[in-house]
This record gives sequence, structure tokens and C-alpha cells, in this order.
Amino acid sequence: MTFDRAALDALPIAPGSTGAIRERAFSQFEALPLPSQETEEWRYTDLSEFDLDFVAHTPGHGEGAPEPRIQGLAASLLQHNSSVVMTTSGQDLETKGVAFCDLDLAAEKYADLVDEHLHGLVPTDRTLFTALHGAFRTGGTFLYVPPDVSVEMPLQTLTYLDADGAAVFPHTLLIADRGSEVTFIDRYASPDLTRGLSDAIAEIVVGDGAHVRYASIQEWGTGVTHLGVQRARLGRDADFRSLAVGFGASLARAEAETVLAEPGGFSEMLGVFFADETQHFDHRSVQDHAAPNCTSDLLYKGALRDHSRAVYSGWVHVRPGAQKTNAMQTSRNMVLSESAKADAIPNLEIEANDVRCGHAASVGPVEEETLFYLQSRGIPRDEAERLVVTGFFQEVLDRVGLEEVRTGAELAIQEELRKAI
Amino acid sequence: MVISQEEHLKELDKGYRFDWKDPSHAVFEPKRGLSPAVVEEISSLKSEPDWMRKRRLKALEHFEARPMPWWGADLSDIDFENIFYFIRSTEKQAGNWDDLPEDIRGTWDKLGIPEAEKKYLGGVSAQYESEVVYHKIKKELDDIGVLFTDMDSALREYPDLVKEHFGTLIPSNDNKFAALNTAVWSGGSFIYVPPGVQVDIPLQAYFRINAENMGQFERTLIIADEGSYVHYVEGCSAPIYSSDSLHSAVVEIKAMKGARVRYTTIQNWSTNVYNLVTKRAAAYEDAVMEWVDGNIGSKVTMKYPSIYLLGQGARGEVLSVAYAGKGMHTDAGGKAIHAAPHTTSVITSKSVSKDGGRTGYRGLVRVEPDAHHAKSNVRCDALILDEDSRSDTYPYIEVEDETASLGHEATVSKVGEDQLFYLMSRGLSEVEATAMIVNGFIEPITRELPMEYAVELNRLVELQMEGSVG
Repeated sequence: MTFDRAALDALPIAPGSTGAIRERAFSQFEALPLPSQETEEWRYTDLSEFDLDFVAHTPGHGEGAPEPRIQGLAASLLQHNSSVVMTTSGQDLETKGVAFCDLDLAAEKYADLVDEHLHGLVPTDRTLFTALHGAFRTGGTFLYVPPDVSVEMPLQTLTYLDADGAAVFPHTLLIADRGSEVTFIDRYASPDLTRGLSDAIAEIVVGDGAHVRYASIQEWGTGVTHLGVQRARLGRDADFRSLAVGFGASLARAEAETVLAEPGGFSEMLGVFFADETQHFDHRSVQDHAAPNCTSDLLYKGALRDHSRAVYSGWVHVRPGAQKTNAMQTSRNMVLSESAKADAIPNLEIEANDVRCGHAASVGPVEEETLFYLQSRGIPRDEAERLVVTGFFQEVLDRVGLEEVRTGAELAIQEELRKAI
Repeated sequence: MVISQEEHLKELDKGYRFDWKDPSHAVFEPKRGLSPAVVEEISSLKSEPDWMRKRRLKALEHFEARPMPWWGADLSDIDFENIFYFIRSTEKQAGNWDDLPEDIRGTWDKLGIPEAEKKYLGGVSAQYESEVVYHKIKKELDDIGVLFTDMDSALREYPDLVKEHFGTLIPSNDNKFAALNTAVWSGGSFIYVPPGVQVDIPLQAYFRINAENMGQFERTLIIADEGSYVHYVEGCSAPIYSSDSLHSAVVEIKAMKGARVRYTTIQNWSTNVYNLVTKRAAAYEDAVMEWVDGNIGSKVTMKYPSIYLLGQGARGEVLSVAYAGKGMHTDAGGKAIHAAPHTTSVITSKSVSKDGGRTGYRGLVRVEPDAHHAKSNVRCDALILDEDSRSDTYPYIEVEDETASLGHEATVSKVGEDQLFYLMSRGLSEVEATAMIVNGFIEPITRELPMEYAVELNRLVELQMEGSVG
């Protein structure tokens, strides 16, 4: 099966206004080209041989999904393949007016919010893949936090894929109304597959004065192609802190964008990724300063091993009038084996003068002296390498405020390093 | 480099210092536009060998076939049909300033070239429109076998050397404007420094455009043989016209084993000149290549001097300073390609934008597989002096060897208020204080410039500051 009209018609009925989105996105999908390396955005990822032939819709039942790594989630949602199969929620969420459910359910239950925001930040016609997502998505996560409500413990969605040859379309629509506070984790996991497609979108609306922490933990198995777009819009004096952890998939392209749309916004974007074997990572970030008096800070750290390849490209854009901007962008890469490749392109475009902007990028080998020292103390080489990589990532993890999120990320890293090294 | 306060202030009252026009001295009536016939005519006027004529015609095909670059500055206003591709101003090259027509001689006097030649240059090449009208090398250098001539003469006098190296680093289809240059090139410098020879006084070329809608396409080739050293300095200027001119040069440099070449440019075209230049150097074993690239004029500049580090232990350095004022877009930068082990590169870029000007750093550091233990450091700083101006940084880092160690850093800021306040509390005006801060900011570059250019650059900063603050 492939992404044709028959497959579209075979999908479960799209609730509320999403039917119109589906139709529109499908015609965009048919009209848009496969992204080409001729364009700057896709220069480092070659999809010319990519066969867009996947099972468009695979209902799930929820069995076999991994257990959460951390205790104390306020609520969790499980999407298995194309279906949301379970939502658990602490009792006080409902009394606080917090909505946390299947996005398709929300399209009926919270139609006004969904109509206003779904594909508002990531339009379906952005690329072929966002159009595909708009057309074939079922399930997904909807999270709404009412004004001035604080949710202390994190909420999590696990999207679990185990059907070979299937496509999944994880979607997170997170709306934190003014003055609210929430932490959300998107976790993606699967066993190793022959083929699989994850075409993911996260839209995050951070209202005036709201505080949102967002973490994504990408641990797809081998064989999966992950193409994700995460975009956040910050209101006045909003505070947004994100952490991206990426280990999985054969090819992972993750775009993370923050729009500082109103004065006084603060954005922190952290990332750690570890690539091995023949993995190809393409990380892109955007810090879009559209209003004055905003601060953004980005730190991405990556370690590469074997024949892997990682590209980081970032864009800080300070628009005219965005005075008193303070923007920083840092990319650090550690190369652990001879045939791994790393590229970094941290771009700045500054159209205001009363700003402080900076960026730094580095690519370097693991220090042999450090490894030698550890080995001389009786630590085997593999263990020494794991320690060095852990230490390299720790600078990022130390900045993650919430202990549950930090611990979850640390455990995920340790699991991955034990497997890889 | 210290300049007195009085000198600063004197300069503040002047505008672009090079805006004078000589009457036309064209030896024959120049024609606008580009065609195979124009290319044939240039070649035949120069009585070139057939291989060069063919090379030119082939390059014209490449030029026509290639699209305009989709990235970088806006080039859509260039009217290729309105450009003069070749203007001959004197019947023959002079070896003595007095042999030049009076106004042309006057132009060089105003630029201070004969004066500089007497004081501290080993040789001078003065190009006016399409050709070198004056050329001279010091006898001492001539005696030890240093070749320094204009490119047209080199093709006649050293045909084998030219044929061996011409277009080997920048093939004619490298990019659209290298193709254009290859098709219609005229003038430029040819330098050969024999093994072990240290040319300890700089050789200088100066490029002057006089006519409106002029296209200047000089071609430079420098070969520094094993263990030699040479410092080449180029400057340029043009009168201000209301319609555009085009300058599109190609510069190829080979620094052989153990050689060192320094190439200094102070580009000060008037703000109606499109400056689209391809510069590339190859550095072989233990060679050192240095580009000191100052871009302070022109309407649009797109220029990224590059260094191919081809031999073990080769070193490369690019020092770039860019200024963009009203209506200007300076897209400059540098490239270092590490293709051999233990090679190092340093790129330092400083840019200042003001009055709606736009500066950009665009660079590439690439480490090829097996170019082990490469080291590179890139540092870009930008100052934006008002809210209408803009600065962009596009650094590309590509690493295919795990032992490489690369770093890039950039900052963009405005002139610090604390610094301004401090200087003003010591009795400086805001204009003077700003100028002093900007001068300090670009000092790492001016420090590397020959004296008279450093003075020139500092003066330019001064006069550009006029009326900029307050």
C-alpha cells in the first residue's frame, strides 16, 4: 500500500474540522516535490532514493510497549502505531481544567482550540512530509493547560511503533494558556525494523507569562526514518525550555524552531545526540527573534561513532526592531571514530543593532589522553569511552531543571551507550 | 598604527576621496555588450595564441549556460548588455610615469602610487580600465630572477609558464563569474618568484576604473617557488556614477613547498561597482598562504578567498574586514580546504555595517578524509551601528576526519555604551569615541596591513562615522 487516494479513503473518519485539513493536505502532498539536496534546507540529507512506500494506517492495541523509565508522571498517553490506545491521568488534572487526550478526540471535544491551533505553527504545505502528515495523521496528543494553572509533575506521550513497513504520524499540540506551567515529554520508541517512517510534528503554543518545559526522547529502532518538526511560539514574557535527546532511527532529521513573537520571551533549547553505525542525523534549529527584549540560548552536543554522520545547522534570526535581543547558539561535536563525519553550520542573520548575538561551533576528536588516563586506572577502554561521552553530555543535562526529565534522559543515555559501546 | 587626532578630524570633512573622472582616452571606440565577436576581438587585439582564444570562447559558453547564483547578494540589477568589456586607454605600456597622458598620470599622482613606489615598493603595476598602463619592477628584483609583469605581457613572454598554470586552480567553468573573467580577461599581474628568493618589499598593483559602465576583468597568477616569499598588495578605486560598473577578477596563487605568500587587498570601489571576484590559493608542503582582505567599498561584493591546503604541514590564514554603508551589501568571507595531514587554518573576520548597509561572513572549513590532525579556528565579529543595518554569518564546517579539531565563534553587537561613556568622559565627542572603538575593533586586521593602507582604512572608518551617531 502507499499514500494514494484509496489509502486516504480507508482511514478512520476525521473528526470535526480535521476532515477539511486532511483533504487540503492530501492535494498539497500530491503537488509538492520530494525535498531536494539542491535546496539549502536539505543540502546534507539525500532523499532522492527514498521510497515513499509505507503502510499508511496500522491500528494498534497497546501490547509490547516499553515501561516508563521514571515514576511520578502526572499523566501519560500511549499511541501504538496509528492509534491512541490508552490515556492515564491523575485525578486533579481534570479538576484543574487540564485537557490531555487523543488529538482526534480533542477535535470534537475542544473543537475551538483545535481549530484555532492545529497546523497553525507548522502548516501542512511546509514540505511534502508535513503535507503527508496532515493528510494521513490519526491519533496524536492534545494538551491544554488553562490560565494560571500549574501542573507540577510531567506528562508524557509514548509513541510506539512495531509494525514493519508502517508509517506513523505523531502529533503533539500543546497549548499553555497565559500564566500556566507544564512539563511535557514526547518519547518515540520501536524495536529494530526493516523499514518504518515517523513523520512527526509538535506544535507548542506558550501563552503570555506561561512556562513550558518540553522534552523529546527519540529512540526509534534501526530501519526507521524520522522526520520531525517542532515549533514553539512564545507570547509575552513566556518561558520555554526544551530538551531534545536523539539516539535512534537510521535517518533522523529533527527541526526545532522557536519564535519569540512578543517582548520578554525566554527560550532555552538543549540537545544531546549520539550516532553510531551508519546513522545519519540532520539537526536544524531556528531561533526567530521577532520582538524586542527576548533571550534565547541553544546548546547542542553530539557524539559520533562508527560510520555515522551528523549535521547541525542553526539559524538565529533577529528581525528588524527586535532590539535588546540576547541570542546564543552553541554546537559541540565529539568524533569517536575515524569514519564518522560531522558538519556544523551555525548561521546568524541580524537585522537590529542593539543586540548581543553569538554562536560557537566545534568538531573535535575524543581526547586520547583522557582515555589513556582512565585506562591506566584500570577502566576498560569501552567503559572509559562511555564515561567520556557521559561527561560530555552532562553539561547539557545539568541544565535540565526538572529532576524527572533529567533522570529520564540520563537513563536513556546510559541504556544507549551500553548498547553501542 | 597611530594617527593623530588632527588627521582624523581633517578626514572627517571629506567624502569618498577617489571620485574624480578623467576624460576618455580610449584608443578605439569601445562597444557595449558581450558576444563571441567581442571575445574574438579582445583576443585578436592582444595577438594571443590560439589556445587562449579557444579557452575564452569556451568560457563564454559556460558563462551563458550557468544560472546566476541563487544565494548571496542580489545581482538581478546587473545589465550585462550595458557593460563595456574592453577599453584600451594607451597605445603602449609605460615604464616611466612621464610617458603617460597627462590626466592619467594625474590620476596616479592623486592616488599616490608614484610616491609609494619610490618609498617602499619593489614593483608597481597600474591598471587603468582594461590594461596595465604603467609597469615597473626594481632592478635588484629583476636581477635575481623575480618575474613581475602584467598578465598580457606574461602570456607573450612566458607562454609555457602561463599555459602550465593558467586556470588550473580556478577552471573556467568554476562559477559564472570565473567563466566571465576567463572569456574577457585583460590585465592583472603575473608573478614568479624563484626558489629560495625572499622578496622583502611588497609588489603592488592598483586597479582604476574611469569610464561609466566599465567592466574590469583582471587576471592574476602568482607562483612562489620552493622556499620563497612574496607580499603582493592590490588596491582599487573608481569614480562615482549613477549607473553600475562590474569588476570580476580571478586570482590564482601557488605557494610551493616551504613558500610563503601574503596577498593584501584594499578594495575601495565606488558604490556603483559590482565586485564579484574569485580568489583561490594552493599551499603545498609546509607552505604558508595569507589573505588579508579588506572590503570597504563597492555596491555589492561577493568574494571568499580560499586556500587549498594540499601538502603536509601547510598553513593558511584569512583576515577579512568588511564595511557596508548606505546601499551596500558586502558578502565576504573565506574558505579553507584541508586536504593533507597536519594542516592548519585560521580565519578572522571583522565587519561593520551602518546606514542600512549589510555585511555578511560566508565561509567554509572542510577537512577531507585522511587529512588527519587538521586544525582550524574561525572567529567572526560584527558591529552593527544602527537599527537599519544588518549582519549575517554563514559558516560551514564539514569534517570527514576524526582527528580534526575545529572551532568557530562569532559575536554580533553594537558599540558598547559603557565604552562610549568612558571615552566621552575623557573629553572625546561621540563621533570620535565611536570611531576609536571601531578602529580598535578592526585593529587585528589593520595591524597586518602595510602602513599606508592601514592609514587609509582608519581614515575611512573616521569619515564613515561622520553624522552616524547622536
